[in-house]
Amino acid sequence: MSQNGLGGLLAKWRDNWKTWRIIFFVVLAVLLVLNVPFVTHHPHFGLDKYPGFFAGFGLIVGLAMVIIMKKIVQPFIARKEDYYGD
Amino acid sequence: MEISFYHPSMAFLAFALLVPFIPRDLWLNKVFRGTLALVAPVLALYSIMTVVPGTYGAIEYLDQALILGRVDKLSIIFGQVFAVIAIIGMIYGMHVEDKGHYVCGSLYVAGGFGCVFAGDLLTVFLFWELMSIGSTFLIWQARTKESVGAGFRYFMYHTVGGLFLLAGLLLKYKATGSFVFDGVDPSAAMYYDWLILIGFCVNAAVVPLHAWLPDAYPRASVAGAVFMCAFTTKTAVYVLCRGFAGWEVLAIAGTCMAIYGVLYACIENNARRILSYHIVSQVGYMVAGIGIGTAMTLNGAVAHAYAHILYKGLLFMGTGCLLYATGTAKLDKLGGLAYKLPWVMVLYMIAALSISGMPGFNGFISKTMTIAGAAEAHRTFLALGMEIAAVGTFISVGIKLPYFAFWGGKREYVGEVKPIPVNMYVGMAICGMLCIAQGLYPEMLYRYLPFAVEHAFEPWHLDKVVASGLLLGFSGLAFYLTRQIITPHAMLNLDFDWFYRFIGRTVMRVFCWPISKVDDIWTEVYRTVGLRSLIEIGDGTSWFDKKGIDTVVDGSAYTVRNIGRAGAKIQTARLQDYLAMAAVLGLGIFALVWYFG
Repeated sequence: MSQNGLGGLLAKWRDNWKTWRIIFFVVLAVLLVLNVPFVTHHPHFGLDKYPGFFAGFGLIVGLAMVIIMKKIVQPFIARKEDYYGD
Repeated sequence: MEISFYHPSMAFLAFALLVPFIPRDLWLNKVFRGTLALVAPVLALYSIMTVVPGTYGAIEYLDQALILGRVDKLSIIFGQVFAVIAIIGMIYGMHVEDKGHYVCGSLYVAGGFGCVFAGDLLTVFLFWELMSIGSTFLIWQARTKESVGAGFRYFMYHTVGGLFLLAGLLLKYKATGSFVFDGVDPSAAMYYDWLILIGFCVNAAVVPLHAWLPDAYPRASVAGAVFMCAFTTKTAVYVLCRGFAGWEVLAIAGTCMAIYGVLYACIENNARRILSYHIVSQVGYMVAGIGIGTAMTLNGAVAHAYAHILYKGLLFMGTGCLLYATGTAKLDKLGGLAYKLPWVMVLYMIAALSISGMPGFNGFISKTMTIAGAAEAHRTFLALGMEIAAVGTFISVGIKLPYFAFWGGKREYVGEVKPIPVNMYVGMAICGMLCIAQGLYPEMLYRYLPFAVEHAFEPWHLDKVVASGLLLGFSGLAFYLTRQIITPHAMLNLDFDWFYRFIGRTVMRVFCWPISKVDDIWTEVYRTVGLRSLIEIGDGTSWFDKKGIDTVVDGSAYTVRNIGRAGAKIQTARLQDYLAMAAVLGLGIFALVWYFG
């Protein structure tokens, strides 16, 4: 597909972002449901024998990482871009 | 030398020597240049795919038998992926007309191959230093002001790392009488083994020795960065795997690296620096796998190195396209490029999903192997640390970088978008296809894995796929919820290089202060005593001078000046030139020894 054709298609998709958001949430829900029969047979961390463990893990770790790094750590270590003069 | 193994470094060295003598008109022909550049990597790949494992190419040097060709399963798999990325990198950089890019790139790649096939520590060291010089010049190929400083810092740092390695191997030689390079039992480790380990860890970017990487790589040239991200750290992974498997300290350090890298990537603004921090993180998985030291984690580390070279090369190629097209890689200045460079976005996303471990891409089949290996070896906390790093990887490389570069949520990039040369697309497409093919057919990669395991690892189980999907999907949800917070800002984040620079400045002061004091005093003495007497002597001699010496002296002065000019041409006072001359001299000597030895 040409550069412009694909670019135009992507632009059209962007305008339908609400549909994409619904698709995203549906996929998450389907994965959660699938996790009930297909839960790991060899739990490594103890809690991962319960369905939904990796969903909670991803969500909590992700939220914590972003909030702690951006809101707490970065203010201490951020400097102007030319701090070193190079 | 035996003829049954063609050493992959040879054609690269020959190519590097040949390039400066190719006439300019011929060189500017892109087809000729590109074809010639591909000869060496294609030969390398052919040689590695057909070689029979064994020991080849022993030469006598300094009363030692140096082994240039130790060919076994471990060196073959690393050599193979090096050859593949060298082919891809050469295609990607084919449009570059600067001869320096090809010379430095080839020397660097030759160094990488040399280390991988080296059978003893001295050979490792020789090629190790060749890599260090080649990559330093590759950084300078960017020809920007900031790349000059970054190159010097990089070189200083790797020189210090190289000296640790040299000290270690010489002390080991003194103690054991040989340069043999085999696995060291951690319980029998001596102090020189630790020195060697430190030297290797510098190149593996083990935290806190890592800060050279996010300092230098983002400043390398667009085409040069593709080579850089593949060779230095992965050669270090190879030598660690060869020499230090099962060292507990590496297991801990690797997991720390994996997490440390993603934390910094989370707050970084420059796209190429985000990727650099992710090299630290991904190499962390490999180092941890090596440290745990079971057959499965070692295989996982090697498989991950293979997959990583491909997808990280593609990531750097994708962001290199952004830099090439717009002149910047800073996320706060980019945005909305999916509509202007849609194919770059597609290819970038293949690599981004690969590094995140999405099922169907090659990161999935290598990362899960390392983590499962760690868990099966009952290293639960290490495995958990790697899962945390996996979440961070998807958030920053898989979503944050492409979201702010290709879509928006903020001001979009409105400046000129330079068209991308076709060869860059071709290089990326090959790399992308390999990433997907390996993800779908893990056997493509697994059949080359060096260590025998009892139960072959099988990534494609529905429960594993669902678990990976959930982990990534809900990390995505975390990004969605925090997308206002994670928006990148034009800031510099302090890292350990603050300490390196502090040490550098302190050393400079310690040496400069007494010298400047002596200089001050001497100047004062000269002004009060020397100058006055000189003036008096000068008055006396001026009469003699005027009367007859002029003609003679002027003649010799012209001669001296002309000699001086010739001398000044060699002495450019640029450290880069001296370094290049030293490297050429060293290579020449080594080539003579290789040939006659």
